[in-house]
Amino acid sequence: MALLKVSFDQKRRVKLAQGLWLLNWLAVLAGTVVFGLGLFLKVELRKRSDVMGNSESHLVPNSLIGVGVLSCAVHALAGKVCYDALDPAKYAKWKPWLRPYLAACVLLQAALLLAALCCLLLRGSLEGALALGLRQGLRFYRDTDTPGRCYMKKTIDLLQIEFRCCGNNGFRDWFEIQWISNRYLDFSSKEVKDRIKSNVDGRYLVDGVPFSCCNPNSPRPCIQYQLTNNSAHYSYDHQTEELNLWVRGCRAALLSYYSSLMNSMGAVTLLVWLFDVTATTGLRYLHTALESVSNPEDPECESEGWLLEKSVPETWKAFLESLKKLGKSNQVEAEGADAGQAPEAG
Amino acid sequence: MAPVLPLALPLQPRIRLAQGLWLLSWVLALAGGLTLLCSGHLLVQLLHLRTFLAPSCPFTALPQVALAAGAVALCTGLAGAGASRASLDAAQYPPWRRVLGPLLVAGTAGGGGLLVLALALALALPGSLDTGLEEGLGAAMAHYKDTEVPGHCHAKRLLDELQLRHHCCGRHGFKDWFGVQWVSSRYLDPNDQEVVDRIQSNVEGLYLTDGVPFSCCNPHSPRPCLQDRLSDPHAHPLFDPRQPNLNLWAQGCHGVLLGHLQGLASTLGSLLAVTFLLQTPVLLGLRYLQTALEGLGGVIDGAGETQGYLLPGGLRHRLRTAWLQGGAAHRPAPGEAPAEEAPPGGDPPEA
Repeated sequence: MALLKVSFDQKRRVKLAQGLWLLNWLAVLAGTVVFGLGLFLKVELRKRSDVMGNSESHLVPNSLIGVGVLSCAVHALAGKVCYDALDPAKYAKWKPWLRPYLAACVLLQAALLLAALCCLLLRGSLEGALALGLRQGLRFYRDTDTPGRCYMKKTIDLLQIEFRCCGNNGFRDWFEIQWISNRYLDFSSKEVKDRIKSNVDGRYLVDGVPFSCCNPNSPRPCIQYQLTNNSAHYSYDHQTEELNLWVRGCRAALLSYYSSLMNSMGAVTLLVWLFDVTATTGLRYLHTALESVSNPEDPECESEGWLLEKSVPETWKAFLESLKKLGKSNQVEAEGADAGQAPEAG
Repeated sequence: MAPVLPLALPLQPRIRLAQGLWLLSWVLALAGGLTLLCSGHLLVQLLHLRTFLAPSCPFTALPQVALAAGAVALCTGLAGAGASRASLDAAQYPPWRRVLGPLLVAGTAGGGGLLVLALALALALPGSLDTGLEEGLGAAMAHYKDTEVPGHCHAKRLLDELQLRHHCCGRHGFKDWFGVQWVSSRYLDPNDQEVVDRIQSNVEGLYLTDGVPFSCCNPHSPRPCLQDRLSDPHAHPLFDPRQPNLNLWAQGCHGVLLGHLQGLASTLGSLLAVTFLLQTPVLLGLRYLQTALEGLGGVIDGAGETQGYLLPGGLRHRLRTAWLQGGAAHRPAPGEAPAEEAPPGGDPPEA
């Protein structure tokens, strides 16, 4: 008993082929969109690879790019097949390839679904890379004279300005590292000497933050230094002051940015997947409808299209049988070769 | 009286004219669309920068007129493409016959007029940007401290964001901040002797410092940003204010914004010029096509010789008699199009 049988007369077959031709070319467009999305995500990840420790995984954008390109190619071919389906002479040359081609289509849809799920679920590795990268970035902030790290100050400053964040988890991260280079410290000053002596590692730690942490929405000019000392500034209470600096940490800011990016890409990829599944199903119906045309000389006759010739369990059994037969036929050939050699040797 | 600028148009040249016109119309539609986009972009930029432009600055008229001109050019291009395509097909032409006349009038008077006006504005208005920006930026800097005064409370945030985004400081340089009180009095301690000294040291009682807001800081500097005591060479180690350095943004916002807006205005001006150069031949070609086909009585495939012209013969005579009769009997031909174009008068020849 065939699965989801639908009967087609000549007109419906023609309409199906024409509709499928259009659908497949729209699917090519959709594939291009997925490719574009993958490329965009890859570029965005590369732009900020400095603060991700250069160790971020590019699995998601690469999979989107690959699936997008494959989808374009497969659906362009399907469009050509649908166009030729209306002409029996041209269709005859495609006939033997359609079965494996449909199998490839099904595999592609599975890959597309997998890519969409990757987009929506693979966030954990990004968080780890960000935590590591930002911690390092903050440590190298002062090394503007060290080759290989001299760009880190600029990167972190521009990051904090653009994403409206401060530090790794908050602005207090800046209190724990020395972010002012020794080159600009006046070592003859008593204050500097006291601070350096006050901790084991001999670092110059301040309760201050760089200018890029400042929040322009604050009604007062930015307070960057002596943040925990209420008496250092007029009418200032560091416990209740919220608008002076950006409150969010850069890890949370970047994570939310990339999450929303990947969520929307995952949603778009799911829609494209649904569209592609429709196109593949239509192609299968067209294939079976044209196969089951009983009288090839009479193009006007009715025919039936279906998804699977037998029901699902029977089809699965038949598939396993054919696999076993394939294995057995190899065995028989091998035995035949041995038997052939044995009489010769004997 | 002979028609104005007649041109013989047998079948083959007519077909070539229609085909060439179709292509040119699509290019005109493209140019019109680009003008539309560019003027929309300029309008959005001006919306963001309206705090820094004095309200009396007439510059905002340019993108509005260019928007209208671009829209009309786009419609003219699309209509021209449709009409020239229809003129090759006998079945499609009759509905276009009625529409073509008024279309040409609207295209010339409306579209041409708007384009010329927009071009004139694009040449004249950028000069007024200088004073507009000077006043606007000066007012914004003066109101930087007024974060609690209704109507000016956003000046600080907008000016900070401007300096951060456009990489500039002050009007012409960071020293402009030395002449303005940018610290709100609410956060000045009246008991601090230093504050009192500063306020008393100038006539207007302003708290002036040799410091700048944080948004002037340049992230490319290798040292953490120095914002205060900038005129004192001994205040910060290894920092000499007389030497050029990367500490703050070197350019003033006036120069940056002026360059930005003038660049956009010149792009818009070139697009308007290109649109104008495309629209003129399209309208002329459509007029010739229209009159040639009218000469055949609307029959497209007629292989007979026919003439296209700009203005029908006897128009001057008709205009004079109409003028003498006071023009009350029938509406005078709307030939008020700009003088540099030969106006294809709006009288659609009687069928």
